[in-house]
Amino acid sequence: MKVLKVPARTIAVFVLPCLLLYVCLVFVPIIVSVYTGLLKWDGLTASTFIGLGNFKDMFFNDPVFWPSVRRTLLYAVASMIEIPLCLFMAILLNRYLRKGNTLVSIYFTPVILSVVIIGQLWKTVYNPTSMGGMLNGVLVSLGLDSWTHNWLTEPKIAMFALYFVSLWQYFGYHLLIQYTGVQNIPDELYEAAKIDGADGFKADRYITLPLIVPIFKISIVLAFIGSLQAFDLVMVMTGGGPAHATDVISTHMYTSSFGSFKYGYGSAIATFLVVVCLVFTGFINTIFNRIERKFN
Amino acid sequence: MVKTKMQKSFAIGLTAVMALSLAACGNSDNKSNEGAATNAPKSTDSGNTATATTDSGKKVTITFQNIYPDPATPAYKMIHELTNQYMKEHPNVKIELDTLNTDQQKVKLKTQAASKEVPDITIVNPAAQMKPFVDAGLFAPLNDMLDQDGLKDTYQEGLLDYYSFDNNVYALPDGNNIEVVYYNKELFEQAGIKNTPTTFEELLQDVKILKDKGITPMAIGEKDSWTGSFLFMNILLRTNGGPGFLKDVLDGKKTFEDPAFVEAVDAFQQLVQAGAFPDGATSIDANAGGNIFKTGKAAMWSIGSWETGAIDASSVAGKVGAFQFPTVNGKGDPNEFMLAPGSAFAVSANSEHLQETKDFLHFFASEYPKKQFELKNAVGIGQKVDGDLKAAGYSDLAVNIAGLFNQVKGGDLAFDNTMNPATAQVHLSSIQNLFVQKVDSAAVAKEHQTAFEANKE
Repeated sequence: MKVLKVPARTIAVFVLPCLLLYVCLVFVPIIVSVYTGLLKWDGLTASTFIGLGNFKDMFFNDPVFWPSVRRTLLYAVASMIEIPLCLFMAILLNRYLRKGNTLVSIYFTPVILSVVIIGQLWKTVYNPTSMGGMLNGVLVSLGLDSWTHNWLTEPKIAMFALYFVSLWQYFGYHLLIQYTGVQNIPDELYEAAKIDGADGFKADRYITLPLIVPIFKISIVLAFIGSLQAFDLVMVMTGGGPAHATDVISTHMYTSSFGSFKYGYGSAIATFLVVVCLVFTGFINTIFNRIERKFN
Repeated sequence: MVKTKMQKSFAIGLTAVMALSLAACGNSDNKSNEGAATNAPKSTDSGNTATATTDSGKKVTITFQNIYPDPATPAYKMIHELTNQYMKEHPNVKIELDTLNTDQQKVKLKTQAASKEVPDITIVNPAAQMKPFVDAGLFAPLNDMLDQDGLKDTYQEGLLDYYSFDNNVYALPDGNNIEVVYYNKELFEQAGIKNTPTTFEELLQDVKILKDKGITPMAIGEKDSWTGSFLFMNILLRTNGGPGFLKDVLDGKKTFEDPAFVEAVDAFQQLVQAGAFPDGATSIDANAGGNIFKTGKAAMWSIGSWETGAIDASSVAGKVGAFQFPTVNGKGDPNEFMLAPGSAFAVSANSEHLQETKDFLHFFASEYPKKQFELKNAVGIGQKVDGDLKAAGYSDLAVNIAGLFNQVKGGDLAFDNTMNPATAQVHLSSIQNLFVQKVDSAAVAKEHQTAFEANKE
């Protein structure tokens, strides 16, 4: 194989504009926000440097912080559990349906809709019976009155109601990724396997799974990072309420900065979020590298 | 090896990029760390204030951030008609409206303020809520402008104090309101309730009667948690036997664990337990909460008198009355109200055309009461209005509310206008919590006290 020799300058010409933008719009703000996290600052008046004071407050004196971290992580786990389901579904679609594409497109529609619209839509589904909530309406008509809830305002279940909406919304997205991945596995491999006596799920076990690992990893990372940053849906549907019962890291960061006028503190939370993102992404990468090695 | 060479030039390239970009975005690190800007113009700066007629003739664009987004409301018509009139009279001035709803505007202004880019005219809330902005030197003092043509004297006695710091007025209020309980006469009749409640016990009774009849007793939109707080503070105004509880806390004379506060929490919980509020109240935003009442689905609505015009323009117009918040456990005086000095127009200290902006705002504030009167929206504005409401065709409700204004003997400001923002946030979510679960009232009081001590200036 001949390696194409491209002079460094040419590469630079192509890479630099993007790199410049990226550094300016992503890297520098992160650095600035790490610094801001070390300040006691209301975003308006003079700031004082307090070192790790904000982080100390965050870890030890903030009753809202750890629960919001727990919810965020739970959210991440839930959205990762969804990926194997998507894969399974993709395999089934690929095997038994000739027109899988159409179905996948239909599953994909919620992804296209804006989160605000999705939020409003599901609010009307979850509304209390007195406001004509659809879900409760269905339960009542089935004679399951005792199962009705105020889905978005009972602190113990509101978060799960939100998880569900999010999983529902992104199901089609990950299904599409997995489906494309499965379709790209050459048919010859399956035919060869058939001759060797591996059919159906056996073929999946020995051919599909090892070959889909890189695609699977993409979905996992996307789902994980996406759920860490979950913000819009929570804001639209509950605003983090009632009384912080549905606060995730990002909404807590938002209310600290813009509600309580603790800009420095909000930046400290943002810093924490960035670190968590990096650590977990690294962690996921390591795990997958091992898996890939195992299969090879 | 190509690779090493490439790495080298890449590294050089990267450092160049870093250096460049740092230079390029270095400015984004705002200079607010240098302390409060002390460049707020002195009120003598503008000395000879040009009246609106002597225009310099240069083209200017004034950005007017405002919170009147709903075309169905009189306030929307007011701002559009006044700005259009001004632009007609001053062809060189263009006024750009930046219209948002209240919550969005708060966040947007906060973001703009952090980078010192406040719009020429913006909206702020009184007292504690605008203090951080004033401390940061973001607003221009308006004293000289108020002295022109006696504009200052059009405002009600003492109202401008809520917008004044160190003897400078920094904003002009769009209203001055009180909290009342609106009630739907038709629904009260249906439930067989003859008189409006004068004690908290009667109120609880009425709530139960209405609830049994399948009518939502009290409308509220508690997703925007100030609504519940506003009602709660009215109860506290009673259990405390009068105004000044928060001031006493700030002065260190009382704590939140004072019996008056605990009693107010208990009373509020009774109201929740009796089923006064709609199901899922905490997921209903303030607008939707108001619509529950305005569409005739709820019997009562405890809210500021600024809603009078909107109620008169809704489907329950003519069926609505208003009463004073009742006494609680025999305490308090019904003639003491929760006072709500309105949101106010402030001018950016760093405006590039400060004089033109002030001239426009002077016109706006002078015409404001007349225009509002004309649009049947003069109840609860902060300026004196000449004219007989009844003769001008105002509703009975409006006349009734205007009558209540005359009975005001004093009262308190909302929690977030009195306490610093961080404590206010804790309070708001603490009260919101009462809507969804029963909480030990001593614990609520303790939560408040802890937050207050942690966020002391």
